[in-house]
Amino acid sequence: MKLYVKIALFVVLFIAVSGILAALILYNEKHPDMAKAKPDFVVTATVLQKEFEDNEAAASARYINKILEVSGTIVTITPTDSISTNISLKTGSDFSSVICTFPAITDPSKFKTGDEIALRGECSGFLMDVLLNNCATVMNRK
Amino acid sequence: MKRLFLLAFFLNIVFAVNGQKYMTKNGFIGFYSHTPMEDIKADNNQVVGVLDISTGEMVFQALIKSFHFDRALMEEHFNENYMESEKFPKSLFKGKITNLASVDFSKTGTYDVTVEGDLTIRDVTNKISTKGTIEVVNGGINANSKFNIVPEDYKITIPGVVRDKFDKSMAVTVTMKYTPIANK
Repeated sequence: MKLYVKIALFVVLFIAVSGILAALILYNEKHPDMAKAKPDFVVTATVLQKEFEDNEAAASARYINKILEVSGTIVTITPTDSISTNISLKTGSDFSSVICTFPAITDPSKFKTGDEIALRGECSGFLMDVLLNNCATVMNRK
Repeated sequence: MKRLFLLAFFLNIVFAVNGQKYMTKNGFIGFYSHTPMEDIKADNNQVVGVLDISTGEMVFQALIKSFHFDRALMEEHFNENYMESEKFPKSLFKGKITNLASVDFSKTGTYDVTVEGDLTIRDVTNKISTKGTIEVVNGGINANSKFNIVPEDYKITIPGVVRDKFDKSMAVTVTMKYTPIANK
């Protein structure tokens, strides 16, 4: 076999293998770890909810798919049907809160209603409440 | 405007009634489809659900973006290619329990029900009819149902190469744990 054929074969093989590897890595990619992610916005639950209530279109354009660091007081803690837990944060409205879904909480007892909490999550949008997914705590002050 | 209407609708529910309405903001809707390569599975634990036990009316609303997949890439494809969640962010079901008389809301227990209504996904509305259960428990009501939907019915186009790998329909699971609104 001529040298250039070998080189060509090697190049083709290299491209194929790295292509497959890249595809596998992309395919298996998990969601970003919110505990380490850099937030796009730092905001309080009250301000965030009010922005969505006042102008949902503008707030949606600003926040959806972004990583938010939100601080507020825990109103309810609800274990969901899967392994995740929903924690809702107090806002200026009685009917609307910020609902944060934590994928899996290893120690739910560390959260208590009334606690001040700061968390990061990806904003999904607004139904009756502002919804955050894939949440992780930044700190949990007592 | 639409949101104002929605708010008015829910506020109306909150104020107008005397313990006949039940609600959750942490409802679950999940879907599942088996393919030879892998299972397609997503969970949404942020579903708003309202149940009126005097009329049997049920409303569910969910954000498409709240459906969570294990794989980030699958979630991205779901949102961008299939559901176009920026254009169609919400999905809505409005329906009714058709055999309301067979449920005794004053007695704990599990009752079989049939629910009929309109399911709107991507602005396409289809009538669906499904069986489910209503479970009357202390302090609340649980509702469960499993049914299948066909993505093509909602103009969700899945490319041929990928389509062949899917089951024709997706299995949808609904689990609601309602609490009375009056107690809020």
